[in-house]
Amino acid sequence: MGYFDVPEIDYTRYSNRQLAAVPLAVLAVALAILGVWFVAYGTPVNAGMDFAGGTEIVVETSTDREEIPAAFEEEPSSIQSVQVEDDQYIVQFTSTDQEWLSEQAEANLEPAGDADVIQQVSSTSASFGAQAQQTALLGVSVAFVGMSVIAFLLFRTFVPSIAIVASAFSDIMIPLAFMNLAGIELTLGTVAALLLLIGYSVDSDILLNNHILRQSGGFYESTYRAMRTGVTMTVTSMVAMLVMAISAYAFGIELLTAIGLILFVGLAADLMNTYMLNLSLLRWYKFEGVKR
Amino acid sequence: MSERGFVRTYWRIILLVLFVAAAVFALFVPGGIMADDSLAGGNETIDDGDPTNLQYGLGLDGGTRISAPVVGMTAENIDAGAVNEDEGTIDTDRLRAIETTLLEELELSGADARVDYHEGDQAVHAEVFSSEVDRSEFAAALQEAGVEVEADDIRDGVTDQTREEIVRTIETRINEAGLAGGQATQQAMLGDDYYIVVEAPDMTPSELRELLSHRGAVEVVAHYPENGEQVNETVLEQGDFQNIDPATFDSERGHHVPVSITSEAAPGFQEAMNEMGFTTEGVGNCDVTDQVTGEIDFDRDPPNYCMVTVVDGEPVDAHSVAPSLAENLRSGQWADSPTFIMGAQSQQEAQSLSVNLRAGALPAELDFDRDDTFMVSPALADQFKTYSLFIGLLSVLSVSGMVYLRYSDVRVAAPMIVTALAEVVILLGFAALIRMPLDLSHIAGFIAVIGTGVDDLIIIADEVMSEGDVSQQRVFDSRFRKAFWVIGAAAATTIVALSPLAVLSLGDLRGFAIITILGVLVGVLVTRPAYGDILRYLLTDDK
Repeated sequence: MGYFDVPEIDYTRYSNRQLAAVPLAVLAVALAILGVWFVAYGTPVNAGMDFAGGTEIVVETSTDREEIPAAFEEEPSSIQSVQVEDDQYIVQFTSTDQEWLSEQAEANLEPAGDADVIQQVSSTSASFGAQAQQTALLGVSVAFVGMSVIAFLLFRTFVPSIAIVASAFSDIMIPLAFMNLAGIELTLGTVAALLLLIGYSVDSDILLNNHILRQSGGFYESTYRAMRTGVTMTVTSMVAMLVMAISAYAFGIELLTAIGLILFVGLAADLMNTYMLNLSLLRWYKFEGVKR
Repeated sequence: MSERGFVRTYWRIILLVLFVAAAVFALFVPGGIMADDSLAGGNETIDDGDPTNLQYGLGLDGGTRISAPVVGMTAENIDAGAVNEDEGTIDTDRLRAIETTLLEELELSGADARVDYHEGDQAVHAEVFSSEVDRSEFAAALQEAGVEVEADDIRDGVTDQTREEIVRTIETRINEAGLAGGQATQQAMLGDDYYIVVEAPDMTPSELRELLSHRGAVEVVAHYPENGEQVNETVLEQGDFQNIDPATFDSERGHHVPVSITSEAAPGFQEAMNEMGFTTEGVGNCDVTDQVTGEIDFDRDPPNYCMVTVVDGEPVDAHSVAPSLAENLRSGQWADSPTFIMGAQSQQEAQSLSVNLRAGALPAELDFDRDDTFMVSPALADQFKTYSLFIGLLSVLSVSGMVYLRYSDVRVAAPMIVTALAEVVILLGFAALIRMPLDLSHIAGFIAVIGTGVDDLIIIADEVMSEGDVSQQRVFDSRFRKAFWVIGAAAATTIVALSPLAVLSLGDLRGFAIITILGVLVGVLVTRPAYGDILRYLLTDDK
C-alpha cells in the first residue's frame, strides 16, 4: 500500500505464553532496575533539580568548557554544552543559592561578545522540590487510576480492561527504567511525558480491543487490521517525538528533549506491550476465557 | 445540490473553516482580540516585531519568577472570648489585648503578630510572622493571654486574608516600580501550603528579591525633648497616609514625597505636634543628620525637634518642621487640608518611600529558603521562540513524511496534514484570544496535539478505507462512526490522564496539560469530524 507498510505477523506460530513471556520479561527487568535503584539510592528514579532542589545556570561565555568548574566555588554536578550555540553551556549545581552562584558566574566567566554571561537561571529549594515531587506522584496516580476506570467503563469485561491497564503500567515502567540507565533524571518534563504516555499508549490498546471484541471478522483478521492502523499511529508519533527530542537537544531546550525522548522509548515499549502482552491476553480471553 | 443540502452534508467542514477563520482573525488582526491590556501592559506586543497577537510567558519573553511561601504560623479559629454571637458584636479591645500579649511574650516587633476577626469564616485567627518563634512558644503566649490553644492546634502558614494582602501589596510594589506586566498570584500546593508567585518581565532575580525582601513598613516618629531627655514617639503609621504623590525633587526641598494624612489621623497629629513643641521652639530645630555621611545620630547636640521617617524600624531621614507648616499647625488650619512633604536623602530613597507608602507594608515576609527561582534573559527567550517554531515545523514535516510514506495517496495524506495544522491554528487563535501567555510547555503541548491529532486521523482513514474503496456514503458513514468510537474513547483517556496536571500546581506543566486537553477537545469536536467529511468527499461517489 505504501513505502512503509505493516507486516502481517503469523501469530498462530506462537502460544499465548510465548507471546506474553517477552513483554513480561522486559517488564520484570525494568522493575528489577527500579528496585536496584531504590535499594541503592533510596529512590526508584533519580530526581532531577525540579524535585531534588538545586540550581541550573545557562551561561554564554568564551571561557573554555574545561575551565568552567574553576569559576565556581562549588563543583558543578553537570555541564552540558548547547549544540547549536558555540558559547552556551548548561551548568547544574546541587546548591540552591542561586544568587551566590550567579555572582561567581558573572565575576569569573568571560562574556562572549556583548551578551550577558547569565542567560537563564533556575533554582529550586529542596523543600519546594519535595512538595513538587509529592504533587507529581499524586498526579501520576490519579491519572493512572482515572485511565483504568475509563478502560473498565469502555469494555465492561475484566480481561480486556486489565490488558489495557497492564500494558499502560508496563509502558510507564519501561521508560522509567530506561531513564535510570540513560542517566535521565525525573523532572517536570519527564513526568509530563509519562502522563502523556498514558494517553498515547491507550490509543492503540483501545483500537486493538475494539477491533477484536466489537467488530465482525476473524480474530487474526481483526488483529491485523488493528495492527496496521495502530502501528502506523505509534510509529508516526515515535518519529515526531524523536525529531522533537533531537532538535530540542541541539537547541538546548531540556523540557522538549525530555518529553520527546521519554515518549519515544515509551511508545516503543507500547508497540511490544500492545501486540504481544495485550494481544495474548485478548486471545486467551477470546478462545479460552469466554468458554469458561 | 441545494444550498441547504450542501450545508447539511458539509456542515463539519464549514464549522472547521469558521473556526480556522476566527482563529486567524484572533491571531493576526491587530485588536482582533479582546481589548484588555491590563495583563499585557500596553503595547509591548506591537513593537516586538511579532506580527501575531500572541502573548508570551516568561520562558519565551524573558524575565524572572520567584515563588516562595510566607513566613508565619496560624492558630485558627481561637476562642478569644471576643465575639458575642447573640449581639453580633466583636470586642476589638480584647483582640488588641491578645495581640499585645503575644508581642510582649514572644518579644516581637509591632507588625509580627496579628489577632483578627475574619468576616469570611466568621472566626478569630491569631498569626505570628516570625521564624524565631516555634509552635509551643506561640501556644504558650496565647495561653498567657487567656486563650486555650495547644501547640498541635497551630499550623504553619498564614491566613487567606494575609496572603491576599501580600499579593496586593506586591502587585502594587512591582507596578509602582514602573514594571509593566509584573504580577503576583498565590498558588495552592499539596497540603495546606501556599506559595506566593511573583513574575516580573524586566528584572533580574536579585532585583526582584530585593523588591520582595523588605516589609516596607513606614512610620513617622517624633524625636523631641521631654523633661530634659530626648524621647521618640510614633506619631503617624502606615494607615494614616493617603494620596501619596510620586517622588519629586526641587532645589529648595531636595528629594521628597508629597503626602496627605487621613482626616481621622490629622487632628490628633496636629495636637501632638503642638503639645510636643514642634510648632514653637522646635521649628527649624533638628540637627541629627551628619551633613557629610548622611547618617542619623540621635545623640547629637540636644535638644532636637525632628520628624523621623522610619522604614522597617530603621530611620532613613530626619527633618524639622518648616515655619510655614508650623504656622498652619499652630492655627489649627492644617487639619482641614492635612498635607506635608516627607523628605528623603536620595532619589532612590524617595522613590522607595513613595512605593512603600502606596503599596503598604507586607504583613509578613517571604521565606526565601524554600523558594523556586526562574530567570530567562530576553535574548535567550527570543532564541527559544525561534527554536520552538522550528521544532514545531520539523515535527509537522516528519509526521507528514510518515503519513505520505504510509498511504502514498495524496488524497488521504494531504487533508490529514491540513487538518492537523488547522487544529494547531485554532489552538493558537484561542491562546491569542484569551491572552494565554505561551511558554515552552505550551509548545510541547502543541506538538503533542499534532501527535494525537494525526493518530486519530490515521484511525479514521484506515477504518474508512478498510475492505477496499468506499463508493457509498452510507457505508462510509457507518465506518466513520466505528472509527469515531475509538477516537472518542482515546480522547477521554488522554483527557483523564492529563487533567490532574491541569489542576495541580506543577509549574510549567499546567500549560502543557491545558493545551493538550484543549487540543483533544477541539480535535474530537471540530477537526476530526471535518476530516471525515473531506475524506468522504474525496473517496465516495456521492458528490
